[in-house]
Amino acid sequence: MSDCEVMRESMPLLLTESLDADRRELTHRHIETCEICGEEWADAKETWAMLEELPVVEVPPHVKARFLEAAGLADLNADLDTGKPSNVIPFHRRPAFKWVAQAAAVAVMVGGGWFAGHRTAPARSERTPAMVTGRMPIVPSAIQPISLSETRVIDASALSPTIEGRPDITNVAVDPGNGEEVTVSFDATSHWTVKGNPRDKSMLKLASYVIENEASSGSTGSTTIESFRRVYSDPALAAPEIASAFGKVLVSQEHEGKRIQAVESLKTLPPTISVASPAQGALIEAIKNDPNPDVRIKAIDALARQATGGVKLDAEAVNTLRQKAFEADENLYVRRKAAEALSTIKP
Amino acid sequence: MLPSKGTESGMKHLSDQDLMRIVQAGDHYPASEIYDRYSGRIYNFAFRFLKNAEAAEDATQETFVKMLRHANQFHGDAKLSTWLFSITANWCRDHLRKADNKPKDSDDVLVMLPASSDTSPDRTLERREDETRVRKALGALTPEQREAILLSRYQGLSYAEIAQISGCSEGAVKTRVFRAMETLKKALMGEGRGGSRCLTAK
Repeated sequence: MSDCEVMRESMPLLLTESLDADRRELTHRHIETCEICGEEWADAKETWAMLEELPVVEVPPHVKARFLEAAGLADLNADLDTGKPSNVIPFHRRPAFKWVAQAAAVAVMVGGGWFAGHRTAPARSERTPAMVTGRMPIVPSAIQPISLSETRVIDASALSPTIEGRPDITNVAVDPGNGEEVTVSFDATSHWTVKGNPRDKSMLKLASYVIENEASSGSTGSTTIESFRRVYSDPALAAPEIASAFGKVLVSQEHEGKRIQAVESLKTLPPTISVASPAQGALIEAIKNDPNPDVRIKAIDALARQATGGVKLDAEAVNTLRQKAFEADENLYVRRKAAEALSTIKP
Repeated sequence: MLPSKGTESGMKHLSDQDLMRIVQAGDHYPASEIYDRYSGRIYNFAFRFLKNAEAAEDATQETFVKMLRHANQFHGDAKLSTWLFSITANWCRDHLRKADNKPKDSDDVLVMLPASSDTSPDRTLERREDETRVRKALGALTPEQREAILLSRYQGLSYAEIAQISGCSEGAVKTRVFRAMETLKKALMGEGRGGSRCLTAK
């Protein structure tokens, strides 16, 4: 079997990050030097990315109802509403005793009020299905605790910029929308959908939190980072908070695919945004220490883009590039990229 | 202390293994929490594998019913998710083996988040076209290849886990994913891509 055949067979493993470090390095080196395999790799990556287009579908609520009945747990069906088609699973408000316990786990502040583990007003016990497009009635001056234990669709402006309790969120879905409204859905203790203007401070906070959550999540194949990149790469929407969140993913995520997504996202942000600390620090850290040459190369590209975009790089960034350009043990392509980046810096 | 019935919220903080220990002790109450944790992944896998929403619903329900019925077969040495996917994949394979259950080229429109009405018509159309292409490309794979690529690409499982689920060797999984990728490249990138370009180069 030729080198090329072996390398091609390794490409799916490279995509799923299943290769050990030596094989990974070997495959990357081959891809960099073999033009045909380089094209194959580009096709493989593009194909892999296109598979992301398949949307995640929600399980119809009646499936759970049927299962609970089969399991002899029909009494739990009281919490389900199986008859209303909606784009959000129609949960109902739960009885107060459950609400208290769940709210202890996670809570968000609304309208300037706060809530962290205790009720300030009695829960309404009547059932109120979540609205598909409706918005929470907000009384600006009233303290209005919202527990993430309930399912609802709310407007981002209803959220306080503070998220308490570091809730563990999963099943995140992001619709970038048309730039005027972004929609973020996720499971905390129940399913939430938050809609709002991407410039809104609360939406920025939520987006940052969701992106950073990717750093601690063990999931793979996530579209979260890519979706937010699409929203915030628009110069009119780009914000330092988002750059910072991408930076955190870049330095703390073990999953190489997500680090690559994070660094690519930083590359697409306007240079004046990505140069801000701590995003800039994350890029430098990645260039110095990331084990994946692809990440290091993209981080160098991001710095080069800042330099060509009229941003003056600080001494640490320049020294890092210089060090990489002359580091004998470094991947040749990384060294070349660093040298090219240095050539773009104006004295 | 394990939570007793009536403290559903307390179960959210328990590990899969703890929940299964309660189930194995004869209390089915944690089944609801386990369902909440895994039904989305199970349903999406079954739906993409079978290309049939109704069958995916049955697969999901049956997976969790079997989980309860055969709870004592779960020993905790594998991840609960791997065990559940094994049950689902078995169910799906059995389903396809039946003469009348060949995967269909379904254009099922399922409820998804967020609503497509929130996006621009152009973007919605573009996304729908991309989805259709991907769905058709996946449909062109053999069931074994589709199973491998779905578990790898969408569920992020390792080849070792997929081998356990599919009842084959890791080498076989590697071959299935490789061949699936070749087929997908041709389907999604056009003829002439994903063929033997590299193989004929040397």
